[in-house]
Amino acid sequence: MNWKNVIQLISVDIKSGRLIRGQRLRRYRERKFFQYLLYGGACLLGIVIGLAVGIVYSGVPDPDLKALFYQGAYSVFVSLPTLILIYSLVFTMMSQIQRAGVRASIQPPYWLPITWEEHTLASTVANLIGIPLASLILFSSAIAIVSIYLDVVPLAVLTIFALLASAYLASTTTEIFRILQVRLIGAVYKSTGKAAVWVRFIGTMLFLVGFYVIWFAFTSGTGSIALIEALAGAQQAIWFIPYIWLGMVVAAFGSGLLGQTVIFSLASLLFILILFYVAVRLNARFGLYEPPAITISRGVYSPKIGFFGKLGFSSLEAAVIKKDFKAFTRRRELMYIFIMPIIFILMPLMQYLGIYSGPVPSEASRFLFAWILLVPGAMMATMLGSMIIGEEGESVWLFFSSPITARNLVKCKYAFVTILSFVVMLVCGAIGILVARISLDIVVALLIESILLIFALGAVSLRAGIKGADFTEVPRPRMVRPMTAFLNALLCLVLALAIFSPLLLHAFAMGYFPITVPLMDDLPMTVLLPRIDLYVAVSISAVIAIVVAFVFYKIALRNAEEFLIKAEI
Amino acid sequence: MVSNEGYAVELRSVAKRYADIVAVDSMDLDVRRGEIFGLLGPNGSGKSTTLRMILGLVKPDSGSVKVLGINAQDDSVTVKRQVGYVPESSRLYEFLTGLEYLDFIGDIYGVALPEKKNRIEEYLEALELGGREGDMISGYSQGMKQKITLISAFLHRPKLLLLDEPLNALDPRSARIVKDLLRKLATQGVTTIMSTHILEIAQAMCDRIAIMYEGRLLALGNMKELRQKARLPGSDLEDIFLKLTGTEDVRDVVEALLK
Repeated sequence: MNWKNVIQLISVDIKSGRLIRGQRLRRYRERKFFQYLLYGGACLLGIVIGLAVGIVYSGVPDPDLKALFYQGAYSVFVSLPTLILIYSLVFTMMSQIQRAGVRASIQPPYWLPITWEEHTLASTVANLIGIPLASLILFSSAIAIVSIYLDVVPLAVLTIFALLASAYLASTTTEIFRILQVRLIGAVYKSTGKAAVWVRFIGTMLFLVGFYVIWFAFTSGTGSIALIEALAGAQQAIWFIPYIWLGMVVAAFGSGLLGQTVIFSLASLLFILILFYVAVRLNARFGLYEPPAITISRGVYSPKIGFFGKLGFSSLEAAVIKKDFKAFTRRRELMYIFIMPIIFILMPLMQYLGIYSGPVPSEASRFLFAWILLVPGAMMATMLGSMIIGEEGESVWLFFSSPITARNLVKCKYAFVTILSFVVMLVCGAIGILVARISLDIVVALLIESILLIFALGAVSLRAGIKGADFTEVPRPRMVRPMTAFLNALLCLVLALAIFSPLLLHAFAMGYFPITVPLMDDLPMTVLLPRIDLYVAVSISAVIAIVVAFVFYKIALRNAEEFLIKAEI
Repeated sequence: MVSNEGYAVELRSVAKRYADIVAVDSMDLDVRRGEIFGLLGPNGSGKSTTLRMILGLVKPDSGSVKVLGINAQDDSVTVKRQVGYVPESSRLYEFLTGLEYLDFIGDIYGVALPEKKNRIEEYLEALELGGREGDMISGYSQGMKQKITLISAFLHRPKLLLLDEPLNALDPRSARIVKDLLRKLATQGVTTIMSTHILEIAQAMCDRIAIMYEGRLLALGNMKELRQKARLPGSDLEDIFLKLTGTEDVRDVVEALLK
């Protein structure tokens, strides 16, 4: 193993972050400060958290409470290696999905004198760079500081080593998964023929649903505590699973069982080496495997005017809309957008099912329905609008060199954003009607409100998407500048509240949400609010939404003109 | 068929800078209708910028660009409708099939349905892509992608072709078909401006050649005129190019490398 090669390969991967950060490429000067800001920030945050926890622990006067606190901290130490393993697995797999569309960023430089061992080691370490490494630093620094107050420094040191090993274990597993997945996909393409695109679409959706279920279980407040408690307790019972062994090392050391500590440490090391060997062998076998081309159609070519042509779009506009529909069902890195409505249905639904064992009460039912109907469509319009120009990637040269006017561009992209958001809204609305018992007038009002939100937020976000478009594709597609996306999300939130405020006023005044904020003279808020008729509220909403949509559509047109003129590709 | 009745492209005192780098320096250039025109020069000499200014993709800092009698900056969409463009490295929509991509291009340029079908089928057949047209472009070789890019440029029957390294990665048969097609189109009045580093192709195909260096036009003319300019009678384009661009120290460089 040539370590210099490994370090060089890892440093190339670190440098690929320059493109993600969108730095000036001509006369480029590396600014180490920004390169390491994420890790420095994570370390600082970890120290602050550690100090805060330590100070709270020191200030606890009751010895019983202190013991409880200590026991809690110990549970965290014991379960952290496994938690980090799950976390790193999810993150590294997600990163692989994002890179899947860009072959250049995952293909090894096979023409260089590099061995598969060197490539695999570099790839598995590089997988951890970014958020996983920053999280590791955050946890490690917090543990280190807390351990001083708890007087468990040796345990903390061992936990930190276990965390590093867990993250590497996860990354190696992802590497194996990635290679097998590429090979498997090839076999699936071959056997499924024309259905390959849909097999891939459904497969990716299932993977993403699984990812988010794990993610929410890990990150949601009560879920994470439950998970820590469960892991701390369950590890002993499932000790035979090699992925648990690093957690067992910490648990054994914490219990003073040195023999078990040594055995589990050696077993973990051996397991990592075996996984690494498997990854190297698989890379050597399938590392350069190219899945066969997907055949979509065979037979006679018969061009038609098509659905969008009949709707009144020009052939150019219809062609771009059709192309975008294909992009979002065929490009794996774009498919994640479809997971969003599923999440926004699952999240409140699971919560309500957890809270109410029987039927959901009518107030909660209204809120649940409003959420399911309004949020996924509005979120879809916001996200799609901001990425719909940047998703063109480097193929955008075609837009610049084709006879596409600003009007064509804005019209067809806006149409795509609103149509897809409508479809999502209708599907979600149908599910909402099934799970919540709602009167017809509220269904109609919320449906109109949802349509208005889609029109307005779609226009707002499209403007942001044109202004902040980013066509960088390697190492992963950026599509929109992060700051533009963030500011656009804030603006959309404010405008959505403004559009929805008349209906919100109606809901509060009618007492649909029984919030009784005590105001002057202890009068509940509902009494002070003016009663506003449902249809008046919807009409006011419509006026606000139409004005927002109109103004931002016009601004988008102006931005598109500048965009097409300044096409210095 | 080279026609002097109106130029296909007219550049007047055109200049373009990128920060402190001069890409094109006060260039005057006329390209006749029906001409196959070669634009040569070392890397970074301003060829691609010139092509992009002709298409209206890049706005010149000063000067004017007229394409087919239209000011490229004032009405770039009308210009683009009449131009077929092949960039040096084109990124195609890899999630589309070859057929879907060409259908998309046909719609973008507003080619009528029956014509679109006939032309796509003819080109696919001629460039031997028949049988793979239903596959996603992501599975195509570099040469196949270049064929799709070329068909995209020809599909709407443009009056002007702007080709940046058009024969890149093509197999000999397809390269020959493209060369013959360009000659045939020239006889029908279609103008071609071609940028290439393969000097043999430029010498064999182009009616006139312009040699650019550091943003300036060093020489312009047919082979006879270029030989006179370089004072190299009977020599080929490679020698002329190396002499005019001051890069004829090739032998010394090779010697130094072998030391």
